[in-house]
Amino acid sequence: MINKNADVLEHLGHEFEKAARSPFTEFKQDEKTAMPAALRNWLVRLRLLEGVPFANLVADSELLPPESIRWFYLDRRWSDALVQGALSVGTVNSDDRIQLDAQYTAIRAELDTEERNVRRRKGVARLMGQPGPVTGFLLRSAAVSGWPGLHVRAFNVDPEEGDDFQFTEDDPRRVRLLRLERLAPAVLLCLFDSIPKVVHIEEPRQGVQFGFMHQDNGNQRSASLRPRNKDNFEYLADDGSKDVDVPFRVGSSGVVDIRRLSEALEAHPDTGAGDGLDSAEYALQLVTFPWRQVFGEVQVPPISAMFRATIEYETMVNATFKL
Amino acid sequence: MAVGEGKFRLYSKLTPPLEAGLWRLRADQHLEAHTPETGLDENDLRVDQENVHLRIRSPRYLLPPDQILSTYPPANSFGSYGSRLPQVVIKRRTLPWERRLDGASDQTPWLALVLIAEGEAKLETSVNVENCVTEGVDLEGIKEVARGNCLVAKKSMIDRVFPTKNDINLLAHAREVDIHDTELMMGDDDGFLAVVISNRLPLPGKDEEGNDAPVKYLACLINLEGQYDVLLDRSPDPAPSFATQFLTKNLVVQEQAALDDHLVMGTALAPGRAGINPADLGELTNPVPLAASSKGSRTTGYQSGTAGGKGARPYAGSRQWGTSSRSKTTSAQVSLQMAESFRIVQGYETLPYDSEHRFPVLLHWSFTTTGKTTFRSLMTNLDSRLLGDVGKTGKPLSGRLPLEVVASGHIGLGHQTREGYRVRAWYRGPLVPHPTKSAGSDRLKLAHSSDQLRVVIPDGREDLSLATAFETGRLLTLSQPSIIAALMRWRQEDYHAARLRSLLVSNRNLWEEVLGVGFEEIELHKLGPLVGRFLADAIVRNPQRFLGNPRPRVTPGRPLEFEGSSTTLLARGLGLEPALFKGELTRVFNSLRNVQVPRDDLRVSELGRVDIRETLETDLDRQRIDLVSNALSNKLLNESLTGPAFPVTDRIRLDLSDDNLDMILRDTGRLDFTDEDES
Repeated sequence: MINKNADVLEHLGHEFEKAARSPFTEFKQDEKTAMPAALRNWLVRLRLLEGVPFANLVADSELLPPESIRWFYLDRRWSDALVQGALSVGTVNSDDRIQLDAQYTAIRAELDTEERNVRRRKGVARLMGQPGPVTGFLLRSAAVSGWPGLHVRAFNVDPEEGDDFQFTEDDPRRVRLLRLERLAPAVLLCLFDSIPKVVHIEEPRQGVQFGFMHQDNGNQRSASLRPRNKDNFEYLADDGSKDVDVPFRVGSSGVVDIRRLSEALEAHPDTGAGDGLDSAEYALQLVTFPWRQVFGEVQVPPISAMFRATIEYETMVNATFKL
Repeated sequence: MAVGEGKFRLYSKLTPPLEAGLWRLRADQHLEAHTPETGLDENDLRVDQENVHLRIRSPRYLLPPDQILSTYPPANSFGSYGSRLPQVVIKRRTLPWERRLDGASDQTPWLALVLIAEGEAKLETSVNVENCVTEGVDLEGIKEVARGNCLVAKKSMIDRVFPTKNDINLLAHAREVDIHDTELMMGDDDGFLAVVISNRLPLPGKDEEGNDAPVKYLACLINLEGQYDVLLDRSPDPAPSFATQFLTKNLVVQEQAALDDHLVMGTALAPGRAGINPADLGELTNPVPLAASSKGSRTTGYQSGTAGGKGARPYAGSRQWGTSSRSKTTSAQVSLQMAESFRIVQGYETLPYDSEHRFPVLLHWSFTTTGKTTFRSLMTNLDSRLLGDVGKTGKPLSGRLPLEVVASGHIGLGHQTREGYRVRAWYRGPLVPHPTKSAGSDRLKLAHSSDQLRVVIPDGREDLSLATAFETGRLLTLSQPSIIAALMRWRQEDYHAARLRSLLVSNRNLWEEVLGVGFEEIELHKLGPLVGRFLADAIVRNPQRFLGNPRPRVTPGRPLEFEGSSTTLLARGLGLEPALFKGELTRVFNSLRNVQVPRDDLRVSELGRVDIRETLETDLDRQRIDLVSNALSNKLLNESLTGPAFPVTDRIRLDLSDDNLDMILRDTGRLDFTDEDES
């Protein structure tokens, strides 16, 4: 009896010493989380592939040619392996590994929930529940480098309002973005929380912009303006039948002849130019909306049209084993 | 009235309560008092005139950075801005109307945003404010800064790219946005903004082959005060075209450097001496071989397409030395070449006097327009596919194997094994072209090293995807010292806490007994003192259970027998006859004096040295043989231990029985047993 207790006590004594040396954290307080917050943040960021070299994401540049957008699903096993690699840094001996084994399920479950809430805006409810598939796209285009700050919106249904509607941030049909980041000046990576039905990519709205619709013809550029009603901001004719060609000053590149433009607009009294154009009316006519590109198939194409392997697996096996 | 989120209201002008400048506020009070009897007029109740001097300050030469809300296109950006007018948004809503231009209407702002392509005009920075305006123009009033920036432009350029008097009015407006709309507010405080738009589209350029070329533009917010009349009254009369030409970007090889030289030096190649043959040059200069020359220096210039060759083009001279890139070997040929452009001059152009004007620049930024592509054209022409598809341009690059993509999304990559063999392996990144299983049981089992995740698939190649992921995660984490520290802290604190907890759980009853409280109420950080106190208490209560019986203070001696008379005892103790102590004292004394002290007689016999040695050796041998034979098995004794050094006798053999070692040696089935396995 005495000897058995002495062993227990001696072991306990060591534990006490350790506990006394390190700042004490009661495990009751941290009971609800599987890991410390600093670690959780790091692992969630890792889960969303932050810091992963681009060559590991896209192993060959031919897979992402210039001016292309490539859609993908995120491989959970890959991101799990990434997290496991990160956790392996903290295990030194087999004892640690047994501990980690015991905790891993809880860690993974917590990361599954946390990664859905990375970009949660203040005041929006946390997403809970089972993790669904994570999808996304890689966009390699001059549009990414030329228009910094693109807006990406994804929906899990095709919105009834049409493609031009303004959607609020907390619209329930919106699919939450997990990550939106430029990996290179011309490469944009975007991750969605589930499989979106429709994706909008919109020109950055850096304030309101003024401009024209333009048309290039050889060495020349012509532009046109679609006049608006000054009272309700609607186009006078949506089909472009009342479009006004923009006059340019002769001898100068790109200089708009505003006097003649206002004269041309006088033909449409609803624009407010009838009694002479003032600066507010002029600005009103020139306001240009950002272009919104909508991705989403009306009819889902067969997978063979979207993805063609260069080698079929069976052929590959046959060739390798000379069958 | 609130504007509403996502909406804005436009004003053609917001009038400032007072325009910038010096103001005097004069207050006169006229007081009169009247009663039925008498009256006091204003001379009696005189109040002095009150003069208050006001200075309304407004940026004039430099716009403070905090007044700028945004510029479009963004400063120092590259992009296809060719169909959008540059603009600047200013926080101070009345700024464009705070000053008055001579000869202009109330509506006219004093600011204009002009867009200058590279080379069309000159921006001078850090100029004394007196020199920021054209000579002869004097801006009255306070100059709030000592140095400013100014734009130096020729009149011809002003006519071409600056807005006309007519345009200026239309290029500034005010905007009211909802103060809750962060996107439109952009950080303003009251929701009112002033916007100045440019009159020029920043078109991209074309090089001589007609390809797109980027053009750098400078946008300048200029002060027109005092120079309003420099602007054109109205746009020039040639009928406007409904198309505008791209800038032509021409690369000028600076051959005209020669022209300056010869003009200055008056050498043989000076103007008017056409028709020089190379032989003459031999006398002029000694032909010396040239060092390998660099490619000719080139300067880039732009000219508006239609204006090219007109008098509008300012003569820039040549600002740098250069050689053209043609192959030349001697200085004579160089000289000839230098003169060439002058010899073939076709005619003279008379350059009309082109006055130069200077405008203070409140704000300037530059950006580069590239290409004719728009966001829309780029987006609609995107090649949209699943990742892994090579796309339309499936032409393999020369010098490399065609890309191997299998239906699962894996691609083949070169792989150098640890042994050094160059093989090919399969790899698939985290981005895959089809859904992957993500339900609970399909998730990856925990691996502790990357090699656990290497897979060899049936075609004989390795699939390194997950092993790569593991290693990537490990290396990324190792590169973050703070995360390593967090992991280690976690391991130390939480793992140990978990261990402590499991220790408590496994001896739950003990602990509840020891601490006297329920298991859930155990306070961990008080555990140590509590246990110590309990232990001390227990020891004090039952010391014999922990420490054994207490030792008596005195160790009792051997009990003495006291039987019979004292003399008998004394005699026995001394080993004498009891009879000696009987009788008279004198007699006892005398007889004791004569008593023989009892002593043992030592029997000394003669022992030979040889006898002793032999006796001892026999004993020693027996001991040795006993020891050895105890340690060794019978089998070994019988087979090996023979000879004079080890005289095995039958006695020994009979005494020994089989011990454990014999058993082990006989057990042939366990002969391959090794130490390591046992442990």
